[in-house]
Amino acid sequence: MRYLTIALSKGRLTDLSIELFENIGIDCSELKGSSRKLILSDEKNKIKFFLAKPSDVPTYVEYGAADIGIVGKDTLMEEGRHLYEVLNLGFAACKMAVAGPAELQGKLDELNNKRVATKYPRIARDYFEHKRKESIEVIKLNGSVELAPLVGLSEVIVDLVESGRTLKENGLVVLDTIADISARMVVNRVSMKMESERINKIIDGISSQLEKR
Amino acid sequence: MSKWKIYTPEGVQDILFNECFLKRNLEDKIRNIFRTSGYLEVETPTFEFYDVFSEDSDMTPQETMFKFFDQQGRILVLRPEMTIPVARIAATKYKDITTPIRCSYIGNTFKYNELGGGKQKEFTQAGIELLGVNTPEADAEVIATAISAVKATGLENFQIDIGQVEFFKGLMEEAGISKSDIERMRVLIDRKDYLGVEELVKGQNINEELKELIFSLPRLFGSLDVIDKVEKITLNKRSIAALENLRKVLQILEDYGYSKYVSVDLGMVQSLNYYTGIIFRGFTYGAGFPILSGGRYDNLVGKFGKSIPAIGFSLGINMIMMALERQKINKEKPKIDSMVCYGIDGRKVAFKVSQELRRQGLVVEMDVMLQDLDEIKKYASGKGIGGIVFIKDEENIDLYNIDSEETSSVNLSELLK
Repeated sequence: MRYLTIALSKGRLTDLSIELFENIGIDCSELKGSSRKLILSDEKNKIKFFLAKPSDVPTYVEYGAADIGIVGKDTLMEEGRHLYEVLNLGFAACKMAVAGPAELQGKLDELNNKRVATKYPRIARDYFEHKRKESIEVIKLNGSVELAPLVGLSEVIVDLVESGRTLKENGLVVLDTIADISARMVVNRVSMKMESERINKIIDGISSQLEKR
Repeated sequence: MSKWKIYTPEGVQDILFNECFLKRNLEDKIRNIFRTSGYLEVETPTFEFYDVFSEDSDMTPQETMFKFFDQQGRILVLRPEMTIPVARIAATKYKDITTPIRCSYIGNTFKYNELGGGKQKEFTQAGIELLGVNTPEADAEVIATAISAVKATGLENFQIDIGQVEFFKGLMEEAGISKSDIERMRVLIDRKDYLGVEELVKGQNINEELKELIFSLPRLFGSLDVIDKVEKITLNKRSIAALENLRKVLQILEDYGYSKYVSVDLGMVQSLNYYTGIIFRGFTYGAGFPILSGGRYDNLVGKFGKSIPAIGFSLGINMIMMALERQKINKEKPKIDSMVCYGIDGRKVAFKVSQELRRQGLVVEMDVMLQDLDEIKKYASGKGIGGIVFIKDEENIDLYNIDSEETSSVNLSELLK
């Protein structure tokens, strides 16, 4: 039997993903150890796992280097890859939103030159250009995006909002919600066909796990 | 300004001896399948006017095309695919010939692809188009030819998924879903985003049975009983006709003996503007992307001035090569059978001998450095050449077998026997 390869996002999704797979009888003990090995396996079920940077997971899955991946919807939207997005795992829920100073509330349309600071240039462009039909200038940042409107680098930001506390403490408000975000299970388009039986078993297993919650 | 002279741009590749040998063999095998099925080959220009391809922004978005200008300032593009040029030919140069027209091509195409997983910016496509008919027999013939072509490359473990876009269009018509929602729905189903489909359907005012069916679309793939299952549900004429068409095509493919390679996917819904009936894609292990794709496109040829139905497919040679390599199949390598060398008295004979051996189908290399025998032996064994023919004159010809290190002497008439 061929190995099925699963790519997990390194970080806050890791433990929750492991739990899901363990609950359907896949042995993840190697993953939980402190091994330095990059690829770990469950020999009984012929499954290999590896951890990757979240934004790389869709790439591994699209190119078929992994058959299945667990990754946040934000990453999926930003990467825009050709994948099957088969399950909403529900955890790591938050929102992708446009935020800015409170005085812009309801007046986003009136801004002539919109400079948008974000870690997600594609999502920002997609939202402004396709949904609002407006041109924008995207300023790509790698972190602490909330800072940008405070120091005059941009008018607004596009970012993940969990509790909204960071925004509030810095005098920013959500101006519009772009999408609800949570962890997703994705499958390579070819693997879904060539290994449909095994992959569907995993999907159905996890899906019934999720329903029990 | 010669900083880049030893490099090739990203996305294009040199194809060297072994790989090129394999690639040409593959192309020959595929060409042979096309030819013997009556699909005559055409060669279209490597670049054409942008206008030729700009009509179909679904299949060839402008940002994926390599563009430049001619002397009059008109926009030219490197061809991103081959079906559209063939459609142009069928509607213009072949507008008066008897249909069906069977056309094939093998050539390089160009796209600003993202790289990886076997994708390049320059890649070779081989395909056929069957123009002027719309029958299940025509659909099945094209799919069967695709299967034969893939089999000819040496791949055995592959699967062709067949869908019918009219089925989806019929469902959307019945449900009365707005045009913009149809496109959203198409993307969600194409992504097999079960949840997204469910959410979009929830908000619509449609009957429960239909809702349930649309919701299950992303999962509607597998064997023929997918069709049986769906047929029990009340559908409109358009969807029913699509299922009937699909069933007929599958039945014909069964008579071809190709059932084991095909399966049904009603959730396959690429480019609704382009495709008008059967669509299909081929998958195999070791390639993360489909190795082939095709379908019926009855509205395309009409855009060039003559409205005729058509179906075709194209196969990615580079993808197939990657799959063959990953599946460790078909490791053909170029091979030199004999090395012919001569003393000055044997020169004339040597040319005659090489010609005769080549005529018999052997690959013969000639020594052009007039080296001595030991040097030639060293060269030949290093290069994996099977044997050496050393011609002193017509009566004295020595044969050396490199592997067994055996030597024998013959004369010309014995050698050419």
